[in-house]
Amino acid sequence: MNQPYLIECHDLVREYKMGQVTVQALRGLELCVDPGEFIVLLGPSGSGKTTTLNLIGGLDRPTSGQIIVQGDEITRYKGKQLTAYRRDRVGFIFQFFNLIPTLTAVENVEFALRLTEKDGRAAAQRSRELLDLVGLADRADHFPAELSGGEQQRVAIARALANQPPLLLCDEPTGNLDVDTGRQVLQVIRDLNRQKGTTVILVTHNTAIAAIADRIIHLHDGVISQIQPNPTPAPIAELDW
Amino acid sequence: MNKTLLHKTFRDLRAARAQSLALIFIVALGIASYIALIGSYRDLGASYKSTYDRLRFADVTFAVSEAPASVLDEIADVAGVTAVTGRLIIDTGYELPNGDQIRARLIGMPADGQPDANQLLIEDGRTLQPTDSDAVILESHFAKFYNLEPGDTVTPIINGQKTALTIVGVGTSPEYLIVSPSQQDILPSARTFAVLFLPLDALQNRLETPDAINNIAIRHQPDADQTKLIAEIQTILEPYQLEATTLQKDVPSNAALQEDLAGFGEISGLMPGLILLVAAISVYVMLGRLVRSQQPQIGLMKALGYSNRVIMLHYLTFSLIIGGTGLILGLLAGPPLAKAITGSYAAELGIPLVETRFYPDLVATSVLLSLLVVVLAGIGPARSSARLAPAEAMRLDPSVALVDGRRSFIERLLPIPFNWRLPLRNVFRMRRRSFTTGLGIIFAFILVLMSWGMLDSMNYMLDTNFNQIEQWDAIAIFDQPQTAAVLDVVRSWEGVTAVEPTIQLPATIKENDHSEDVLLTAFSPEQTMHVLRLADGLTPEEALGDGRIILTIPMADKLGLNIGDDVTLDTPFGTHTLILGGVTEEMMTATAYIAYDDAQKLSPLPTEIFNGLYLTLEPAQAQTIKNDLYHLPGAASVQLKSDIIQDWQSFMGLFYAFMGVMLLFALAMAFALLFNAVTVNVLERQRELATMRAIGASGGQIARQIMAENTILWLLTLIPGLLLGTWVAMQMGAAFSAELFSFQIVISPTSYVFTALGILAIMLLAAIPAIHRINHLDLAEATKVLT
Ligand SMILES: Nc1ncnc2c1ncn2[C@@H]1O[C@H](COP(=O)(O)OP(=O)(O)OP(=O)(O)O)[C@@H](O)[C@H]1O
Ligand SMILES: [Mg+2]
Repeated sequence: MNQPYLIECHDLVREYKMGQVTVQALRGLELCVDPGEFIVLLGPSGSGKTTTLNLIGGLDRPTSGQIIVQGDEITRYKGKQLTAYRRDRVGFIFQFFNLIPTLTAVENVEFALRLTEKDGRAAAQRSRELLDLVGLADRADHFPAELSGGEQQRVAIARALANQPPLLLCDEPTGNLDVDTGRQVLQVIRDLNRQKGTTVILVTHNTAIAAIADRIIHLHDGVISQIQPNPTPAPIAELDW
Repeated sequence: MNKTLLHKTFRDLRAARAQSLALIFIVALGIASYIALIGSYRDLGASYKSTYDRLRFADVTFAVSEAPASVLDEIADVAGVTAVTGRLIIDTGYELPNGDQIRARLIGMPADGQPDANQLLIEDGRTLQPTDSDAVILESHFAKFYNLEPGDTVTPIINGQKTALTIVGVGTSPEYLIVSPSQQDILPSARTFAVLFLPLDALQNRLETPDAINNIAIRHQPDADQTKLIAEIQTILEPYQLEATTLQKDVPSNAALQEDLAGFGEISGLMPGLILLVAAISVYVMLGRLVRSQQPQIGLMKALGYSNRVIMLHYLTFSLIIGGTGLILGLLAGPPLAKAITGSYAAELGIPLVETRFYPDLVATSVLLSLLVVVLAGIGPARSSARLAPAEAMRLDPSVALVDGRRSFIERLLPIPFNWRLPLRNVFRMRRRSFTTGLGIIFAFILVLMSWGMLDSMNYMLDTNFNQIEQWDAIAIFDQPQTAAVLDVVRSWEGVTAVEPTIQLPATIKENDHSEDVLLTAFSPEQTMHVLRLADGLTPEEALGDGRIILTIPMADKLGLNIGDDVTLDTPFGTHTLILGGVTEEMMTATAYIAYDDAQKLSPLPTEIFNGLYLTLEPAQAQTIKNDLYHLPGAASVQLKSDIIQDWQSFMGLFYAFMGVMLLFALAMAFALLFNAVTVNVLERQRELATMRAIGASGGQIARQIMAENTILWLLTLIPGLLLGTWVAMQMGAAFSAELFSFQIVISPTSYVFTALGILAIMLLAAIPAIHRINHLDLAEATKVLT
């Protein structure tokens, strides 16, 4: 028997009504993701990448269609269930980092941990471990404004990992970083995928970055135009863009 | 300003609908309350004045023991006197159909047409005629309270006998616009005090004192030298035992009304001022936020070549529209509100001839005030918008943290648990905004505590007076001296547990060019029915006797007298010099006390006399004893403490309503202010809060965080708010306790607790719309855009 999919999207439609005009951001998207896969969503601007990611991450609801994660139809979830879903099963990494500016690096991670962990001491301890994991132990007590873009994004990754989600969603995580820093960040994400088996869906419009995926999904105009398996993902050190 | 920019202004306003409405509401509330309160204050003042003018209210009234009517001609000849009316006035009892005795004042007045001074405004029926012998005109408050009409019968006690008189009219007198019996007893009471107007000769005949008068009301030319004129008249009245000379401003009802009006005036100025200040703070906070959030747009406008002036004007327009709309609404609501306040106030007091006017100058000042508020509040943010350098303003990089994170000051002192660190830093990260919001909260504290403090102080005053100072159950006053034999009779009555005789005299204290009328009460230093609350730990034995006098603290202050100083006292029996033996806390300022033995020495009358009684009674027999007292010859007034307390309670209804409205105003304003401040704070951090939601924080967790921020703001403002609130209440109290009352501000611990908790509740309630908004955000949108 086949291993069940981690994520299944069926006939996903997302429309935006803007006055009289209806924009179709997704037009019947079909997608299945295996556990432990590293997927890149690739497509030009406006093709629906972010929309797809937000739907899978429970930040948004489709106009129609189904999303099933680990056998649960999350598109049926109500507010509280969706919150718990985001908290426990999804790690989000945004293009603009979205750290809480008034919390230090370690506190940003702790914030996410505290959503479930009641033991304060344990939470603080684990936050430092997570920062250590992304190589930022020595920056733990700095505020976001005192960190470089790459450092901020690594804090965001540590935060996303706080509740050990099976799924990591990254929307242009390197879009705001220079190449060197971008590589560092991708390396951390890739290591997580390989070492902990975290499933990753990474959005980019950068073909070069797509080469690190197990599978590249080409999006075009709200539908998948091509699925490209990539049996030999490129080593990150060799990437350039 | 071009059209596109104006469109943008309207779009911005629409985008912040709820907040703009809240701002407009505060401005409108400020303007409406300004127009309504000041307008009503003026209306009431004008109403009193026009009533006085129309009814020829006496300029000066002289009370004597008894004089022949012929003195009137002498007085009329004094230079400057334009009108003289002689009257015979006696206080007596009045038996109600249910058998209860209440107080009545019979005023015998000329019946050949309206008198020259103190005319009556006939509201029902007719005026008195010379041929009337058993006719009476009833003062309207009493008539209305008991539903009495022309044709009905009233039964006052005249010469110890119940006498039936027929009501021919119901009217209002300028002396009794509200029916305050005396300066020591200003509380208007339609229930227990009746004023009856009779033809002078009819009353003289019934009292068997033909030709006698005891009260002369005069009017004089406006430019006459009043002091000189009074002195001349006093010389004429010298032989007839002058008891009191009362200026128009000191007539009890007028004095009480004017004092009331002055208190009203204070609040009329204070309330709108505070509200408009809060409006200014709110506009400032909101516009500041708008400018900050539109930095990139401002940069763009500048890059496109808009001048600083145009940009500044653009943001100022925003606050001008809010101010203008609030102004218009306030102007529309103000006058009807003024009319309603004046009308219901006058109706409550029972004052006819109410004038309500439109005051163009109030409209003009309203326009200026609202302009001032919004321009002053808007100019700062608008200027900062213009000062932005375009490149800096356009640096639209959402990855760059807008605010520098910083540990808050408090964290350096105390270990703060994780859940409080974030709210704490949020409060401190926008120092200026937190400061202005805090200022608004402090104003809310002031308004609430002030209203509450007034209620507390009133309750404290009444409780002190009736439960601690006055220990008697009944007080009786006679208009003729009574002998020891009468005292023995009263003592022997069943139900009378104790009796203390007193002598009450009207007196005038003259000191340092100041003259003050007081009610002088003489009693034994050992008496127990009126507890003297003496300052400096003195005992009554130390402060009374041997020619010593006790004054109230405010009276001694007003006269500039210290213990041990000489006090010069005019009584109907001449001028005496006493020594200030002590000062007391009393409810009524114009009272003074001497020892019973000293009073005997002052008067030429035989010893062992009295004209007042303090009694303690068996409650069940109180009414019977009251009736019996009224039937003693010469009984002028008998009052049960329980009745007085009941009068106070009904009078307090008005006061409570007034303070209740103040409290509501304060709370509504606090809500509007905080709603805006919290909404602005939350909107500005929309992306941050949306991110928290995105990574799995629940709605409740977000709510708790925002509530925690408000709680911190509350904690920071609590102490200054309560302190300043107390201070303002003290100032109000000082303004309130003018001539008649001595009003001491006392705020009970529970009021502090309720104020503090009430404000906290408002602060938490005011956060709910903002929390709702955050928890219904489009997370996909909010996490990517920069707001
Ligand atoms: N809130 C919205 N309202 C209206 N239309 C929207 C909204 N969000 C997205 N769209 C539209 O949906 C389509 C897909 O948008 P989406 O953000 O998913 O694109 P994307 O592939 O992430 O593009 P980019 O690479 O520029 O980030 C676009 O045409 C976009 O204009
Ligand atoms: Mg995108």
